[in-house]
Amino acid sequence: MSEPAISIQHVTKVFPIPFKRERVVAVDDLSLTVEPGQVYGLLGPNGSGKSTTMKIVLGLVTPTAGKTEIFGCDSTRVASREQVGFLPENPYFYKFLTGFETLQFFGKLCGLRAKKRDERARELLALVGLEGAADRRIGGYSKGMLQRIGLAQALVQEPRLLVLDEPTAGVDPAGSREIRDLILGFKARGITVLLCSHLLEQVQEICDRVGILHRGKLISEGRLTDLISIENQTELILENASPELLAEIAATTAASGARLVGQRKPQQNLERYFLDVTGGNQ
Amino acid sequence: MSRITAIASNTLLELVRQKVFYFMLLFAAIAIGVAFVASGMPFAEQFQVLKDAALGATSIFSFLLVTLATAMILPKEIEDRTLYTVLAKPVSRLEYLLGKLLGVYLLLFVAMLLMSVLFFVALFAREQLVIAATLKDYGPGPDGEAAVAAVKAAAFNWNLVPAILIIFTKSAVCAALTLMLSSFATSWIFTVMISVVIYIIGHVQPIAREAWLAQSGVNPSSVMKLFLGFTSLVFPDFQLFNIVDEIVVGNAVPGWMFGQVFALGLGYVFIYTLVGYIFFSNREL
Ligand SMILES: Nc1ncnc2c1ncn2[C@@H]1O[C@H](COP(=O)(O)OP(=O)(O)OP(=O)(O)O)[C@@H](O)[C@H]1O
Ligand SMILES: [Mg+2]
Repeated sequence: MSEPAISIQHVTKVFPIPFKRERVVAVDDLSLTVEPGQVYGLLGPNGSGKSTTMKIVLGLVTPTAGKTEIFGCDSTRVASREQVGFLPENPYFYKFLTGFETLQFFGKLCGLRAKKRDERARELLALVGLEGAADRRIGGYSKGMLQRIGLAQALVQEPRLLVLDEPTAGVDPAGSREIRDLILGFKARGITVLLCSHLLEQVQEICDRVGILHRGKLISEGRLTDLISIENQTELILENASPELLAEIAATTAASGARLVGQRKPQQNLERYFLDVTGGNQ
Repeated sequence: MSRITAIASNTLLELVRQKVFYFMLLFAAIAIGVAFVASGMPFAEQFQVLKDAALGATSIFSFLLVTLATAMILPKEIEDRTLYTVLAKPVSRLEYLLGKLLGVYLLLFVAMLLMSVLFFVALFAREQLVIAATLKDYGPGPDGEAAVAAVKAAAFNWNLVPAILIIFTKSAVCAALTLMLSSFATSWIFTVMISVVIYIIGHVQPIAREAWLAQSGVNPSSVMKLFLGFTSLVFPDFQLFNIVDEIVVGNAVPGWMFGQVFALGLGYVFIYTLVGYIFFSNREL
């Protein structure tokens, strides 16, 4: 149990550019550890090496230097993939299969028995909200539906670790919230999650720990709460406060030597507003 | 093993749903056309032409089918990134490659079965027509029976079955060769072109080699032997598979010769798959 879910040790990945002398350093001496049960968010601008890192962890890309392990098993070994589900970025599946057949196929690859495979496929389609499209060919799925089937596929063998590359890209706000809730559900069941996303707000809601990559280097890493709280400030949110009360608080604050930095009305966020308006909140 | 069969059946399903079997209509059209054209000839020649055309067409069609189908597999999977999702499961690259090859072989098996059935039906139909005509000419009696026996002997010959198996083996070798090429090629057009070139060289090379050896005397130097050995490894000796022609003509072909051809085919498939695997396992996806 003490063994880390993912261990990345001094990994470097250099892509040569064909016909040119230049090279791209996609990942530069990266080391990080994801403990079991954590939800870890990998952040960074486009091209900073997030997807490459994930592919290295899954053994899809061979690192130029360094090594990675999943639950103590080297990523280059096929056995390391038994405990992990992967959702690639912009996932594509066999267009000629239906959603149900796709899950069946991946179930077979994970060695599930026929009866179990059927049950699991139905269960997962319901989980990601695709029951209605189960018998339609993937070729006709929308981007968000592909993302959902991708998530279902990653879960097929009930892995202990999930690696999700932009799980909510292209998914509508309600779906994106469902995925967020699913991830929180996995966390409650003790499943480790490594994800990357550009939706920082969501990352903030679900991740325990984040690492920020910039040009392949890990420039900041730690517990989310530690990273973003402003240590010397405190927020008060009052309801039905009279102007007199506010004036009084301001006066008391000034008298004590502290400084009132700002005073504003909290805003309902756009996501909540969108969901209220479209009725996606139920 | 279950992973290999899962990938194989998925590959077959893909090809079936892409409607590759429609090319069979073309094959049927050729069979019917030839039977029609040949109907004016004496019966022995008629059957000869039919067998020649049908086996020739089977050979070409199955070569084209496996080469095109195999050459598309890897580039398509890499482009669609379906490869990532498959290899992210506990599937080794060897299992993946074997699954794909097996899938192509299933396709080849089904296609050749269909073509053979078509061929035998056409042959049988012609045979019945000719027999009916013969009986009418001779009327009842031992003469007529002898004539019918002659027709039957000229039509179907059990050696046709191993002939078809040899064509299968040859196409299987081509599929393994194409898969090996596509394990390092960057486009399917390149793969198909090289496959076709090797196919042609494989047919021409043994002839060239014999001519060359005859010209340069009985004792080739050891360097040359080495060179010849190397070329025959890279370019499979497809002339060996030409015992099919002997069979069509009706010559008896000993069993050990069939055995030899199958063993050789198996050897080529093994070597190509191994080399393909070595390239594929080191390939950056
Ligand atoms: N197969 C490849 N060949 C060459 N260069 C590559 C390859 N894959 C990735 N790169 C390069 O490596 C760098 C990192 O790419 P990567 O896909 O990991 O970025 P990312 O952080 O996932 O970006 P995004 O947010 O856009 O998804 C980029 O500069 C990219 O061009
Ligand atoms: Mg990415």
